[in-house]
Amino acid sequence: MERRDFLKISALTGATAALDACGSPDHQLIRFVPEEDLIPGIATWKPSICTLCTGGCGMLARVMPGEAEVVRRGQLGLLKMGLAKKLEGNPNHPINQGKLCPRGQAGLQVTYHPDRLRNPLKRSGPRGSGEFQSIGWDEAIKELASQLSPFESGKQESGFAFLTSPLRGQRANIVSNFTAALKSTRWIEFAFLDDQTVRLANSSAFGHAAPPTLDLARSNYIISFGADFLSTWNSPVAQSVAYGQMRQGRPGVRGKLVHFEPRTSITAANADEWLACAPGTEGLVALGIAHVIISENLRSASAAGAAGNAIQGWTGGLAEYAPATIEKQVGIPAARITKIAREAAANQPALAVIGGSAAAQTNGLFNALAVNALNALLGNVGKPGGTIFTPPIPGTPSNAAELQGKLEFDAFLRQIKSDPNAVKVLFLYHANPVFAAPASLQVRNTLEKIPFIASFGSFIDETSAMADLILPDHSPLESWLDDTPPSGSAQAVVSLAAPAMSPLHDTRAMPDVLLDLGHQLGPDAAKSLPWKTYDEAMKAAYGGLQKQKGSITAKDADDFWQKMQDQGGWWSTEENSAVPTTEKNSTPPTKVSAPQFDGDASDFPFHFLPYASQMQYDGSLANLPWMQEAPDPLSSAMWGTWVEINTQTAAKLGIRQSDLIEVASRHGSLRAPAFLTPAIAPDVIAMPVGQGHQNYTRYATSRGANPISILAPMTVAGTDSLAWAATRVKVSRVGEGKLILFGGGLNEQPAEIRHR
Amino acid sequence: MSLSAGGFKSWLRIIAVIGIGFVTWLVVEHALPAEGQATPSSAQEPTAGVFTTAHSTVTQAIEEFFNYRPEPTQPITFTHKVHLANGLQCINCHVGVDQGPDARIPSVNFCMTCHRVIATTNPEIQKLSGYLARGEDVPWQRVYGFEPSAHVKFNHAPHIRAGVQCAECHGDMTKQTVAVRAVNLNMGFCVQCHRQHNVSVDCVTCHF
Amino acid sequence: MAHQWGMVIDLDRCTGCEACVVACHAENNISTVGADQAARGRAKHWIRVERYYEGEFPDVKTKFMPVLCQQCGNAPCEPVCPTFASYHTQEGLNGQIYNRCIGTRYCANACPYNVRFFNFYNPVWDKPLNLQLNPDVSLREVGIMEKCTFCVQRIKAAEIQAQSEKRDVKDGEIQPACVQSCTTRAMVFGDLNDPESEVSRLARSHRATRLLDELGTAPKVTYLQRDSWHDGQDV
Repeated sequence: MERRDFLKISALTGATAALDACGSPDHQLIRFVPEEDLIPGIATWKPSICTLCTGGCGMLARVMPGEAEVVRRGQLGLLKMGLAKKLEGNPNHPINQGKLCPRGQAGLQVTYHPDRLRNPLKRSGPRGSGEFQSIGWDEAIKELASQLSPFESGKQESGFAFLTSPLRGQRANIVSNFTAALKSTRWIEFAFLDDQTVRLANSSAFGHAAPPTLDLARSNYIISFGADFLSTWNSPVAQSVAYGQMRQGRPGVRGKLVHFEPRTSITAANADEWLACAPGTEGLVALGIAHVIISENLRSASAAGAAGNAIQGWTGGLAEYAPATIEKQVGIPAARITKIAREAAANQPALAVIGGSAAAQTNGLFNALAVNALNALLGNVGKPGGTIFTPPIPGTPSNAAELQGKLEFDAFLRQIKSDPNAVKVLFLYHANPVFAAPASLQVRNTLEKIPFIASFGSFIDETSAMADLILPDHSPLESWLDDTPPSGSAQAVVSLAAPAMSPLHDTRAMPDVLLDLGHQLGPDAAKSLPWKTYDEAMKAAYGGLQKQKGSITAKDADDFWQKMQDQGGWWSTEENSAVPTTEKNSTPPTKVSAPQFDGDASDFPFHFLPYASQMQYDGSLANLPWMQEAPDPLSSAMWGTWVEINTQTAAKLGIRQSDLIEVASRHGSLRAPAFLTPAIAPDVIAMPVGQGHQNYTRYATSRGANPISILAPMTVAGTDSLAWAATRVKVSRVGEGKLILFGGGLNEQPAEIRHR
Repeated sequence: MSLSAGGFKSWLRIIAVIGIGFVTWLVVEHALPAEGQATPSSAQEPTAGVFTTAHSTVTQAIEEFFNYRPEPTQPITFTHKVHLANGLQCINCHVGVDQGPDARIPSVNFCMTCHRVIATTNPEIQKLSGYLARGEDVPWQRVYGFEPSAHVKFNHAPHIRAGVQCAECHGDMTKQTVAVRAVNLNMGFCVQCHRQHNVSVDCVTCHF
Repeated sequence: MAHQWGMVIDLDRCTGCEACVVACHAENNISTVGADQAARGRAKHWIRVERYYEGEFPDVKTKFMPVLCQQCGNAPCEPVCPTFASYHTQEGLNGQIYNRCIGTRYCANACPYNVRFFNFYNPVWDKPLNLQLNPDVSLREVGIMEKCTFCVQRIKAAEIQAQSEKRDVKDGEIQPACVQSCTTRAMVFGDLNDPESEVSRLARSHRATRLLDELGTAPKVTYLQRDSWHDGQDV
């Protein structure tokens, strides 16, 4: 054939070969009859609750009709249903007042996550292999019931244990009752970020075992010790709303923020003054400030009451804490401390707050007590513009956390290590200690010993990968939800939400499963778990609020229940700021205690500060693509880990921006690219928590490094909390690395960034 | 290049190369997403595959480019004529047209509220009750709409509120059985009416 | 009088939390591009938070500034677009008309704020993440430029609603996704043609400044400088 014919034909056949028969397989999917006839394009707003951090913000979910691919009766098809499209803060909710942080916005991606577990699974390969097969709910419940039947009768302290994230509301109640019904005291709440230290300090100083609520909106001077309250600490949105007010919400009045922390967190970045005190010396600084106030007669020492008496030497005027004396130890010039003390006393109301790394040192409790004493001295506790406590919820059982004696996580590990037969059955719910606890605690090896593990979570993560049976919960937007936030508002708050949308997959509400199991157990269980469904349990628990002075007036119980759902909860109408009730301490006054660090300073010259990242929090949100791609506010980094290192320090070590460096403690090492910054103390290395997952959906698996893994198993003295800021490390350059930074619209970033 | 015999062959070659290049470009840019194929969901796997703006076949891409949308075939021969003659209004079934952007196509439940008792022996009605018996909704095929690449966000409600009659854009339904595209809804049609009624023709009124 | 939409961002309130960044993604169907494409600078954050360091340790000041399309009155991106895809709307927005766009990217080149983003590939959502997509916002395909629209879909919806109730849009009724989510209420949106609107009032503040004002772009976003503290009170 001639050349041109060949070319002509090739062109044609090339085109034809690429043409396919039309018809997308979507057209072949059947359509299920919708549950209700929704009007397309019309949005309804349904109250919901954010469960992604401890804040407890109230949300409104924008629900619009759409078409979802679902499996019903074993068949794949299309279903028109209401789909949550956007989350906003609930304007009426006292905690967040209509605002929502980036994590709350990303909650949608939990519901629609491609790797969310869609039905019960039974392990089909070796434990931890990730090999599971789908099973039905009846089979799953039957299996669980048979595993639990040895525990319902018989001796105390059965072999049952329930490991959860910190729970509130009726969820906590049901888990507590369930555990007790199985004759077990092993309900363990685990979280990397736990607030036990601050609660203990508040209990001792003020009689409230609760985190503080900061009335920043009416405050004029704030001294923060390590508490990243604008980002990840305690109730970030409530605190941010109040912070905005403090800055520019009052004509002619602008509050000042002073922040002490060895690195620049987001809160430090927003402070008028950021001072990098030596790690663990925050308590000394607080007492230094108190000393100036007392010695210059700006306020009387006795104003501090019981909180002051909790510190040894308080009545003596704290001479040993004079700024000039502590100057070298804390690394801050005496004149700065003195100036701050005078300003605080002159600009009432002034308040102090502690959290983050300051409370996560071995002397964290001392630091917290010192800060509490300073607060009391400043006279702000229980007053407008000061440290207040959210009042208890009237007419309902108090927070279940105080009801049952709970077991601490490392005590739990010790029990199993000392007696491998102690625990026979473990239930898991939203706790991931294999990731979020230091490798030195050997969590995986310890949990391995437990013969049967069941998980109720929605995802496979490092811990739930060890399960033998998985019974996936609904996502929060598909669930009945309640919450009793312990801080963030001057009003008592009970949040309540009906499901915003129908379940997409074959999942079941975890509390409903427990109630179902409870009915199959003996009479004791039936007594403490009499409800059929979770909403029934909540209706019974919160019905008493109808008679309390609050945000809802209703004509009867059903009306109240409906209104509570419509509003997203109930809150007290009186601002009942609880004032301190203890006047004397039961414990002897605390002496100054110096922080202890793991690792010799000569071998391990740097303090290692892991920190909860704005996007991934404690690592639990690394599975959400928006949280991977949103740039970190301070580094602008995406899809990876980095190590914060002081610019001068890096220069001395020959480390350039994005170089791969090895960070090693006595308990392990990791590698990550360096991020150079002037805003960190020269002897401090910091890393965001969040990445380094070995098994946590396609977006987070095998990405970055986990700073928690190399932490030393140090404890905050006087508590059971991990002192996660007490590890020392050494650092060395390994080679070239890669940072993925966001620079704007037309900013081509080469894959490997060199000197910037 | 002159139009000699050799020159003509060269032109043909160039055209052929460009033709292959065009087809390749179509395939690469419009049919395939960045990473791998646009995969459809397989049985039992509602979370398998990706959703993308890419067309799943080249034919679809070419059809959209040339605005080629043949009239669809409906699963049931629904007759507007008969329903309207029996006193129904457009808005009885196409709920929402005065509230928001879209007019609802009713579900099989909605149709059966009447057809549980009306005309039950009619074979088309029996098709309808057959769907319901199987737990399926009727797979009505979309008649009106704009190509995704037109990026039009049409909102019914302001038009209904302004008094625009359904027939102006959808034709006289008293003469139609299944809906057909009686009116050619191109941009000129919309702009002409907007100009006539002194309504904004700012691009962003409809394209966003 | 026609509306002229504008925004004020109070840098003394902004904490750099990036609620605005994620809220924008959720509202406007912005796809994530993944690690590899992000490494090539192709992530599409219509609003971003820029972080600046001033000074050396220990006296370092950190500052945040959210940057989004300034909807410039003299937009440099408008004259360079060969198809008028980038044009000025009657209400003062810089409109991006996707169906006109042929992807020359001259607009992104001209934009001094680096707020325009190109779809190098067809966006992809792993199913069923696509169920989250907002039906009120177009999906942009390969070859299309996109950028912040001041949530024009919300503006349109509010105007249509107001029209149906025979009234004008009220001040504060329209909140773009970023403004609505901003935890410190640092962002305010409204009509600059209404001298009594909050945005007009705040734009008259002594702290008001505009980004790259000297280029003559006439941006519609006013930034309020970070305030200082003078032993108690400050105006």
